[in-house]
Amino acid sequence: MGGMLIQCQDVWKSYGSRPALHGLNLQLESGKIVGLLGPNGSGKTTLIKILNGLLTADNGMVLVDGSEPGVYTKSIISYLPDKPYFAGWMKVSDLFDLFEDFYMDFDREKADHMCRALQIDEKLRMKTLSKGTKEKVQLILVMSRRAKLYLLDEPIAGVDPAARDYILSTILNNYNPEGTVLISTHLISDVERVLDEVLFIQNGQIIRQALVDDIREKEGKSVDELFRDMFRTVPFGGGEW
Amino acid sequence: MLGKLMKYDMKSMSRAFIPMWILAPVISLLLSVSIRSAIEWTDNPLLSGMINAGSSILMIITGLLFAAALVGLLIMTIMFVIQRFWNGLLKEEGYLMFTLPVKVWELIVSKALTATLVACVSIVVGVFSGVILAVFSTSNIVYAFAYVWKNLLNSVIEVGPVFWINMLLLILVLILGTTGRIYHVYAAMSLGHLFATHKVVGSCVSYIGISIIMSILNNIMSAILSSVVPRQFYYMTSYGMMEAMSSLYLLYMMLVSVIEIIIFHVITERILSKKLNLE
Repeated sequence: MGGMLIQCQDVWKSYGSRPALHGLNLQLESGKIVGLLGPNGSGKTTLIKILNGLLTADNGMVLVDGSEPGVYTKSIISYLPDKPYFAGWMKVSDLFDLFEDFYMDFDREKADHMCRALQIDEKLRMKTLSKGTKEKVQLILVMSRRAKLYLLDEPIAGVDPAARDYILSTILNNYNPEGTVLISTHLISDVERVLDEVLFIQNGQIIRQALVDDIREKEGKSVDELFRDMFRTVPFGGGEW
Repeated sequence: MLGKLMKYDMKSMSRAFIPMWILAPVISLLLSVSIRSAIEWTDNPLLSGMINAGSSILMIITGLLFAAALVGLLIMTIMFVIQRFWNGLLKEEGYLMFTLPVKVWELIVSKALTATLVACVSIVVGVFSGVILAVFSTSNIVYAFAYVWKNLLNSVIEVGPVFWINMLLLILVLILGTTGRIYHVYAAMSLGHLFATHKVVGSCVSYIGISIIMSILNNIMSAILSSVVPRQFYYMTSYGMMEAMSSLYLLYMMLVSVIEIIIFHVITERILSKKLNLE
C-alpha cells in the first residue's frame, strides 16, 4: 500500500492552561499495527481524539488519508473510545443497525457472528450488560468495520489478562490488512507481540518512532524494557533499586 | 443522512413520550367523568352522603393526577430538549454521534426537528386534554358539541378566507417560535461548552445573556416600528383593516423567528464544528 495515512505537523492543543500536545509531528503509513506508547497524561488520548474529530487542535495541520478531520475521515476511521459511549436504552441490535446505517464498511454478518461466538444476546439493552460485555460489544462494533484506520484507545486497560489475549487476537484476526491500527496503551508487554511499529509520546510530543524489529536488533531490548528505560522516573527520595 | 439521524432521535424520544401522550388525555377523561358524577350525584337525594363524599374525593384525586400529568408533560418536554442535546452530543454519547460520518449541521438539525415535534405534540396533547375536560365535564355533551360546532360555522361565514390564512400564519408562528426557543437553549449550551470548567454554569449564564440581548433588540425594533408605521394604522376602522394588520404582524413575527433560528443555528454549528472539546 504505502502512502501517508496520518500526517500531523506542529499540532498544539491545551485544555485551558493545561497543555496536552506541544507541537506534535507525526507521519504514519498504511498497513501497520502501531503502538502509541506513553505514560499517563502524555497526550495519547488527545492525539487520538484530534485524529477522529472529537477535539479540535488549537494549531497545526492534521491530515488523515489526505483530508482534514471531517465527514470523509470519519467514514474511514473506526474508533474504540476509552469509555463506553452508548445510550443505555439501545439494544445491541440497535447499535448494529445504527452502524449498518451510517458506515458503508460495516459487516453486519461479521458482527452477528462475533456476537454468537461471545454468547452475547443481541436483544439485550446496553444498560443491562456488565462492564466487560459492554467493552466486548464496543470491540465487535469497531472490528466489524473494514476501516482504513483503527484508533483503539486503551483497548485492554480495564480487562483481566485472559480477556486481553482475547481482545488482541480479535483485533489481529479482524482488522483490515490494508489499514493501519493505532493502539494506545501503557500495558506494553501485553501488546508488544502484535506491534510492527511503536510511537513513544511524552509531554505532547512524539519523542521516538521506530520499528519493533529494529529496537530488538539494534538495542537488544524488548519494547517494554525500552519504555521503562525511557520513562524511568527517579523515586522520591532518590536512589535506584 | 439527516433522515437516518432523525430515525434514531425519534426512536429515543418515542419510548418516553408516547405513553405520556396517551396517558394525559385518558386522565383528563377520567377527571371529567368524576366531575360529572360528583355534580350529578350531589343532586340525587337517594344517594347517601358516603357516596357523595366518595365522589368528591375521587374528583380531587383525578384532578391532582390531571395536574400532575400536564406538569409532567411540560417538565419532560423541557428536559428532553436539554438532555438530548447535552447528553446526546456534548457527553459520552457525543463520542458516537461526532464520529459518525455526518455533517455537524445534520446532527443539530436532527435534534432541533425532533425536539420541535416533541414540543408541538406535547402542546397539542395538553390543549386536547383541556378540551376533553371542558367538553366532557359539562352535563350535556351533545349540546356542548353542537354549540362549539355552530359557533365554528358562524365564524367561517362571517370572517372569510383571510381569517383562515391568519390562523395558518399563527400556527406557523407558534411552531417557528417553539423551534426558536429550542435553538436558544442549544446556542446557550454550545456557548457553555466553550468554558474550560463549569460548563453548566456557563450554559445558564449564556442563556440569560442571550435573553437580555434579545429583549434589548426587541425593544429597539418595537421603537423603530412604532415610529415608522403611520399613525392612522392604529385606528382600525374596519374589520378588513384589522385582519390585514394581523397578517402583517404575524408575518413580522415569523420573520423574527426565522432570523432567530438562523443566528442560533450558525452559533451552535460553528462552535461544534470548530471548537468541539469532548474531553
